[in-house]
Amino acid sequence: MKAVETEGLSKIYTGGNKAVDNISFCLEQGEVFGFLGPNGAGKTTTIKLLNGMLAPSGGSCRVFDIDPAQNPEKLHQMSGVITEHAQMYDHLSGMDNLIFYGTLFGRNKADCEKRATALLERLDLADAKQRKLSAYSTGMRQRLSLARAMMHSPKILFLDEPTSGLDPESAQNVNTLIQELASDGTTIFLCTHQLRYAQEICTTYGLMNQGNLFATGNIEKLRSMVSDKVKVRVKASCIPEDMECEKIGEHTYDISVNSEEEIPLLVRRIVGAGGDLYQVSAEQLSLEEIYFSLIDKNHAETECGNL
Amino acid sequence: MNTQQLALMKKDIRSITSNKRVLTVMLMVPLALTIVLPSVLVFCITLVPESTADFQKLLEMLPVSAEEQNQEQLLLGLVLNKIIPAFFLMIPVMASSVMSAGSFVGEKEKHTLETLLYSPLSLKQLFQAKIMAGFTVGMLVSILSFAAMMLVLEIELFFLTGSVLVPEMSWLVVLLLVAPAISLVAIAVTVRGSAKAQTMEEAQQCAVFLIFPILALVISQFTGILLVNSWILLGLGIVLAVLAAALMKGAEGKFTYERLLK
Repeated sequence: MKAVETEGLSKIYTGGNKAVDNISFCLEQGEVFGFLGPNGAGKTTTIKLLNGMLAPSGGSCRVFDIDPAQNPEKLHQMSGVITEHAQMYDHLSGMDNLIFYGTLFGRNKADCEKRATALLERLDLADAKQRKLSAYSTGMRQRLSLARAMMHSPKILFLDEPTSGLDPESAQNVNTLIQELASDGTTIFLCTHQLRYAQEICTTYGLMNQGNLFATGNIEKLRSMVSDKVKVRVKASCIPEDMECEKIGEHTYDISVNSEEEIPLLVRRIVGAGGDLYQVSAEQLSLEEIYFSLIDKNHAETECGNL
Repeated sequence: MNTQQLALMKKDIRSITSNKRVLTVMLMVPLALTIVLPSVLVFCITLVPESTADFQKLLEMLPVSAEEQNQEQLLLGLVLNKIIPAFFLMIPVMASSVMSAGSFVGEKEKHTLETLLYSPLSLKQLFQAKIMAGFTVGMLVSILSFAAMMLVLEIELFFLTGSVLVPEMSWLVVLLLVAPAISLVAIAVTVRGSAKAQTMEEAQQCAVFLIFPILALVISQFTGILLVNSWILLGLGIVLAVLAAALMKGAEGKFTYERLLK
């Protein structure tokens, strides 16, 4: 059974704003899916569609074979959601908030207390568990939201910017937790702007822009959509005159090759031409570079289409 | 009601009782209507008898002649059984509408409603739990206000007149039928308004118009146009109960996830 399956999913809001336009993708169980795109790309709308908060204008979606629009309560029993607008109660303590939400999912109070204590410990909030939420910082609230979404041990987590407002250490802690959850079989649907973190934890990606899902796949697939070439950074005393390269610093050059297999050949040519080699590294495009490159490409295609 | 709904109800009630501003509003009105106002009337009747001349016309309309009973006792009975019940109806209206505005729009304002919507409770179950929370608070405040009023009034009367006054059957109708029914009407009106309202105050204002018929009832007691009795109250209670049922049914249909998240 697929964790998430959408087919031509669309959402047009009243007023004609097409937030999600005919998107189709599948997620396997246990995947960490990075759903990336600029503000207004339709990421949050997609999360709401996948949780039955919005009715699709076209197409269909299923989460663990449940139609969210038809049976949202059944889906909510197995999903956890964090969005910017899904806040908790300021007048309750962190612990009381978690117990309350745990009870809503049908757990008894003793179970909730046990689970909440473990989660608060895991997310470095144990010292603040009796403090009212109004005294929590943005980062603490964000971590408590993650604890809240995990209270009922969901099969799938929809996380909309879970590391926003977190300091690097807390963000790293949250990412480690997400990876642990994924290794235990929890499917993660992660919307984020923090591409560096996304690259660390996601197994597959979906790139959205203006409601269109224009690229999906793992990082190798996305990389191949940008360029088939491998960039090799070389620090050498000199390189052969006929070698195509880009000089980026003193004795430092970027050279494009078709595959990693060509690197030994390249090294032999430089040494053969009398050059001293100090450093050779294959530079792979980061998710950030791929993202901006594909977004630019998509913008260009959209503009061409509009003309 | 399942345990999840009870947890939600309990949380809603705790939200209101922990909000000092809302709690003060909720307690000031009953205090004024059931302690201050009746006490002022009782003191006027017993200590300044000439001030009661205005009630003479009202007394003439009562089925009991002034000769049969002490005029002071008659006036006190008129205040307790005719005038105060009309004022009293403002309490369930106010308490229930404040509570339900807080529980529906308050959640929207504080961005906690979306989190609730991601729970496995259906919209109908959420709706029921929130209505029950408003109703419970409305009735609790009403019954406690009545008990406090009777206690204070009887003590005052005992010291001022040497006797106590037994409330009429009409109070039973007020407490068991009219107050619950008007409380549900207030909740239904507030909830219907909550679908569009963006602030708690906006939602509460929806129930304000209910105050006007109550004021008309109060005026009719003072002028003697329509003095309440058990039968009139029974009829009023039934009409309100039917109205509450119709409004609730209509309000329930207005709620969808999409509309609530707007």
